This record gives sequence, C-alpha cells and structure tokens, in this order.
Amino acid sequence: MVELEKEVLAEIRRIAVEELEWKGAVEPQQDLLRDLQLDSLGLTVLAVGLENRFRIRLSEEDAQEVKTVADLVRLVANRVAAPSRAPVEARS
Amino acid sequence: MHSAPPGHDRSLPYIRAVGRALPAHYATQEQLIAALREVWATRHFNLDRLEELHRNVQVKGRYLALPVDAYPGLATFQQRNDAWIRESTLLGEQVVRQALERAELTARDVDHVFFVTVTGIATPSVEARLANLLRFREDFKRTPIFGLGCVAGAAGLARAADYLRAFPSHTALLVSVELCSLTLQREDLSIPNIIASGLFGDGAACAVLSGAEVPGAKGPRVVASRSVFYPDTERIMGWDVVDSGFKVILSAKVPQLVKDHVRRNVEDFLVEQGLRRSDIRHWVAHTGGPRVLQAFEEALELESSALSRSWASLQEVGNLSSSSVLFVLGETLEQAGARPGDWGLMLAMGPGFCAEMVLLRW
Repeated sequence: MVELEKEVLAEIRRIAVEELEWKGAVEPQQDLLRDLQLDSLGLTVLAVGLENRFRIRLSEEDAQEVKTVADLVRLVANRVAAPSRAPVEARS
Repeated sequence: MHSAPPGHDRSLPYIRAVGRALPAHYATQEQLIAALREVWATRHFNLDRLEELHRNVQVKGRYLALPVDAYPGLATFQQRNDAWIRESTLLGEQVVRQALERAELTARDVDHVFFVTVTGIATPSVEARLANLLRFREDFKRTPIFGLGCVAGAAGLARAADYLRAFPSHTALLVSVELCSLTLQREDLSIPNIIASGLFGDGAACAVLSGAEVPGAKGPRVVASRSVFYPDTERIMGWDVVDSGFKVILSAKVPQLVKDHVRRNVEDFLVEQGLRRSDIRHWVAHTGGPRVLQAFEEALELESSALSRSWASLQEVGNLSSSSVLFVLGETLEQAGARPGDWGLMLAMGPGFCAEMVLLRW
C-alpha cells in the first residue's frame, strides 16, 4: 500500500506540472483548493488523470471527503485496492 | 463649447440590420457525444465523466460546417484550414446578402468591411473572396481582424463605429464567421479541449452600420464603447498554435474574472456616460457558457429575464465565438420591442484577457 501511495503521489505531481502548469512543490499536507489553487476545471483534470492512470472511477461523493493531497492519495489507493466499493460502480 | 448629452450627439452611427447564418449540418449534443465517445475511449477510462462535461454546458445541439462523419477525415491543419476557407466564404456570402437585404442596401453601398474570425486563416482574407462573389466597389476598404476571439463581435462593432464617426457618410459591414468545429483537435484529449468540443458551434453574423450622414439610415445608434484589458492573463483563453492547428487554451478562471471585474467595468463606463446600471433596458451579452452568463447575472444583479436571449442562443446553437453576441444583438433588434430612448449594452469578453462594452441607444 505504501508503494501504491507513493505511485499515486508521483502521478498527482506529474499532472500538476504537465497538465495544470503548476510551478511549485506538491506535498501531502497541502490543501487542493487553497494551496494548489485548483478550480473546478483543475480538479476535473486531476481526477481524470488519476482515473486514467489507475483505471478507477472517482465520484462527486468521493470529492466530499477529499481536502488535501494526502486525502486524495488515500482515496485513490483504497479505490485501486477495492474498486467494487466505488459508489459509481453500482450503476454499471 | 457645449457637447451634446450622451445619445444625442448627431455624429452617432446607426446599426441598420444584423444578418445571421448557420451551416446546413445539425447534430444534437447526444449525437456529438456518440461520435466523440470512441475517440475519448482511446485514452480515457471514465467516459461517463466526459459525457457529463458535454451535458453540463447546457447546449442542446450545434450546427456544423460539415457532416459529422466528414471530420475524422480532416487530419492535418491544411485540410482543416482549406475546409475553413471554403465553408467560411460560402457562409459569409450568405450572411452578407441577408444583412444587406434587411438593411435595404446593395454591395455597391458598402465602403468598408471589417472581417473578424479566430477559427481559420486566409490570405487574401475572406472579405476579399466575398468581394469577388458580391461585387463590392473597387475602392472598398478592408480590415481583417484575427485573434480577438469571442470579444471580436463587440470589439469589431466598436471599431466599425469608430470608423463611421470619422467617415459619417460611409456604410460599413462587420462580418464575423466562426467555424469552431474545424479547429477541433481530435488527437488532443485534454479536458479543456473536450469541454470546448462540447460548447462551441459554427455560425456567421453580419452587422450593417451607417454613419450619421447616410440618407435613410435608421436603427439603434452606437453611443460609445469601452475596451478593458486585464494584465497578465494570457493563459486564460487562446490558442497554442501546433502542427495540427489551433489547440485550445481554456481556463476555468473565466467566470471568476467576470465576477471580479465586470461590475466595476460596466459602472465606470456608464458613469462616464451619465448613466446607471438601472438605465440599461436591453442587455446583449456574449454567450460564453452557463457559468459566464451566471457570473454576468450575479455581478450585475440582473433580473432573471435580462439575459434570456443569451441563454436561449447558448442552448440552441452553442457558443459561436465572435458571432454569438451579434446573434443576440440581431434578435434584440428584431424581437425586443425597443422603444425610442431605450438604452442597451453589448458586453463580450475574450482572449487577452479583455472585455468590450458597446453602449446603444434606440
């Protein structure tokens, strides 16, 4: 799990730099909105990038519990470990 | 020396008519989603999310320069731009003929053509090609304007009005042709491009303006205009020009920029004209997208019906870039039931980032 979380953090850093033109550091304790200054489009780009890389689905409900980079890392790692628990999967 | 109060200056140009034209091929938003889904699946995992992005822009369908199944065959910039030159000339001819007929004028009455677009390039520019089809006089003046994007409908009208103050016996056309579908980069599967492919449509508009000394000219008058430039906002909206054409730059910060600035910009402009926001009876706003229209409504504290023409246009045809605000203007001219003395304000924003306001009086 630790390895997977490192992989997720690395992917978040890659998306921030390559797709969101983010110039600063990306650290686990940072707030996605306040510190990384992500707007709705930025959050969508981040979510889509993680969904594509880890073949998972993230939902609106998921967004409620995610505030920091660390929250997002945990959510993605958990979803990779147990994809059937994703609320959106129930629809398909 | 005394100057006339705003709206009573005898040198003010008239907007005589606004023509609008849409290409022949129509596709509903669901048909477009179905056509794009296969391309999205080559890189994206959660296609439901992308479909939601297309539905969230509240556009029911778009008119397209070509049939939907013709687009995959356009692989290179040259192929897309060749199609753009051919189709924009055809649509431009149609819209100019319609606008001149509505203004009860002929091509021989035209002294100056301002041509605005951001979706293709041509040299000679499209208004020269239109001259060969429509037979403008050999001394007609040409001002092609590329790169203003969505703001060019309002900014082009303002520049045409500036010209007609200097040449009050002249008639000018503002021709806008935007074939956004021909800029689509199928291989660019970035989220901004996917949102753009859900929002932007194709269309053309032509405003006919005459200077104050042209006999028989009538319609609302262009009283004043104001440009506003927002420094250091180059990456908010625009193109990255790449080997395959125009790759869209689109930031979600646009609605926030509107919220932060538009009220002060409008109030400063109106105060200079001796007016208040409550004096404006007809709001002619560019149909940037649902969040931009909401931002206009909130920042300017508008009644729910104030932007109804912009909302309807967005839903029916999508964002037509510079043509959009001219579609709304044309519908306002023909359907708003404006009375003599009514004030109107055209409002558009675009790459720069910048805004343009045009004050009208009936």
